[in-house]
Amino acid sequence: MHNFKYTLKTLFKSKILIFWTFLFPLVLGTFFHLAFSDIEENETYKTADIAIVNNQSYQENEVLKEAFNHLSEENDDKLFNIIYAKNEKEAAKLLENDEVIGYLYITEKINIIVKESGIYQTIFKFATDEIVSMTKVYEDIVNKKINDYLNNNIEFESLYQKIYEEVTRLRNDNQNFTNDISRSNLSYTMIEYYTLIAMTCLYGGIIGMSAINKVLPNMSCTGKRMAVAPEKKISLIFSSALASFIVELIGLSILFIYTTLVLHVDYGNNLPLIILLSLAGTFVGLSLGIFVASIIKTNENNKTGILIALTMLGCYLSGMMGITMKYVVDVNAPILAKINPAAIITDGFYALYYYDSLDRYFINLINLIIIALILLLISSISLRRQKYDNI
Amino acid sequence: MKKIIEVKKLVKSYKELKAVNDLSFEVYEGEILGLLGPNGSGKSTTINSILSLINFDSGNIKIFGNKMSPNAYEIKKQIGVVFQDISVFDELNVKDNIDYFCGLYIKDKNVKKSYVNDAIKLVGLEEFVKFYPHQLSGGLLRRLNIACGIAHKPKLIFLDEPTVAVDPQSRNNILDGIKTLRDNGATIVYTTHYMEEVETICDRIIILDKGKIIANSTIDEVKKLAKIEEKVSVEVYNLKEKYINKIKEFPNVDKVSYNNQILQITYKKGRNNLIEITDYLLKEKIKYNSIYAERPTLNDVFLELTGKELRD
Repeated sequence: MHNFKYTLKTLFKSKILIFWTFLFPLVLGTFFHLAFSDIEENETYKTADIAIVNNQSYQENEVLKEAFNHLSEENDDKLFNIIYAKNEKEAAKLLENDEVIGYLYITEKINIIVKESGIYQTIFKFATDEIVSMTKVYEDIVNKKINDYLNNNIEFESLYQKIYEEVTRLRNDNQNFTNDISRSNLSYTMIEYYTLIAMTCLYGGIIGMSAINKVLPNMSCTGKRMAVAPEKKISLIFSSALASFIVELIGLSILFIYTTLVLHVDYGNNLPLIILLSLAGTFVGLSLGIFVASIIKTNENNKTGILIALTMLGCYLSGMMGITMKYVVDVNAPILAKINPAAIITDGFYALYYYDSLDRYFINLINLIIIALILLLISSISLRRQKYDNI
Repeated sequence: MKKIIEVKKLVKSYKELKAVNDLSFEVYEGEILGLLGPNGSGKSTTINSILSLINFDSGNIKIFGNKMSPNAYEIKKQIGVVFQDISVFDELNVKDNIDYFCGLYIKDKNVKKSYVNDAIKLVGLEEFVKFYPHQLSGGLLRRLNIACGIAHKPKLIFLDEPTVAVDPQSRNNILDGIKTLRDNGATIVYTTHYMEEVETICDRIIILDKGKIIANSTIDEVKKLAKIEEKVSVEVYNLKEKYINKIKEFPNVDKVSYNNQILQITYKKGRNNLIEITDYLLKEKIKYNSIYAERPTLNDVFLELTGKELRD
């Protein structure tokens, strides 16, 4: 409690930490607001021209067909102008002549071909991914019911009836999933704010790292003093980490309040889940800070530089400096999106905002907790084994 | 006398270099032990090893009769350390800094409060309790550094060059404080580069060089290790070479040097060589401004034993 109290006091009085944790995200948020709100307004009403190779595979994919028809219907939510190509060559020519931003071509798998990265290409891929994911859900339902029939759990006569009921229930539950990906919801400025929150969560690592460094004898003079005191290192680290976590949460709360009340950012209606994801994100940020503090053998300035670089790189790859990067990473290095905490936090908020189903949100939440626990485990092993040859 | 620290056959190497080489010594209750040595002699490595801050290759260290280790919390409770580097929090004021470090040892709030006030008084920081470290002068900062290390009233105190770069007033204050700590029953291990401090406050000294003990005794005993018995210094202008050569031939003269108008003669034996020199200068009608004789200082002994100045 003694160390906890004084760690809080030192953190709140550290101007550098206050800047990076409290002020920098607010400045960046304001910048996003000024820079992107106009762009979004200007681009909201444009529709993307896409091509679909109208081959047999596409014709047989009823869900995809129905979904793209819906997304290209003439109404306020129209997302795509679709040109149906007879074959891939024709679609490729349309792309080559810049008549479309990309085309869908189904072979054994579903291919999205684009010439360059951009917001429309990202939306095209996003929409297709969502349709494919819903197709799988329907397929699973059908397979489950067929298995039930094969295992004699239901009668053959009621098989189709059961499948119909399940699919109808699912569609009602989702209130027509294509609406979820309609243009009115695709605010890419929101991605910037999500990455901003992710960045704030991860920047908390600087606070965690700084607090831990003050306890390590090879990192600071105060650490030497603490090392000769009759206190267990682990209890000092735990109380310092807890104090850092609280400071990080306060920083995050200020960001939420500022973006909601001043910048009028709409985070949706799931406030408890937003807070839960932020807590998990902050936990990862803190763990990352402890990880860098305990694993990397260099001075505090270098460690801070490494942590900031890691955080900024993670945020960049998750779409902070332009949503197209998220698309590029999703397509070319999907594993990176799965282990990048910034991408996971961003995707968690994204999922919460756009989908009625919480599956994707909870997968992201669990991923974050797993990453944090792994980082803490490695840090704990490293700190326990740490013996100094020189200080 | 009761042994507070026992170091036996301590060895610590950094790759090929043996920083501490088969070191054995004891520190007794109530004494101030001066640990001296030029830079790189192994002083800090020895202290860090005793405090279990670093690993050592071999040897045995006991404090208060028990084996010292990183988890020896009962021993650590009775130890105070003042590091050479200022080890305080920039974000906390004087009182909070002392309260924080004292609180790592003392859990009772009332006792802690009284100890913190005692420490502030001991180092003379009563007027600066609300000041932050960056608002303090070098000397006051050193005093704060000391207060943070000794506020919990430890029985054994390590002071690693606590007076580096401080003004004379702060130095006197610090030295008085150290004597008070000893008078209150603490045992002190003191490292410094200032010989006059050692002569003022230390009961015994250990001189380290290249990781080995080259002297371990009281100051008077260590001084006896010197080959010279007296030094005579004369301020004289434009002394000719022939006179210097003549003085070199005097009985018991060890060395003669003439630099910056100062003639310095060191004698292997005897304590009344001044008369001989004044007689000679009068006889040769050589005028001089000043002349004095002195016993060898600890610095002379140190120079003789290690071949280096302490502050090299």
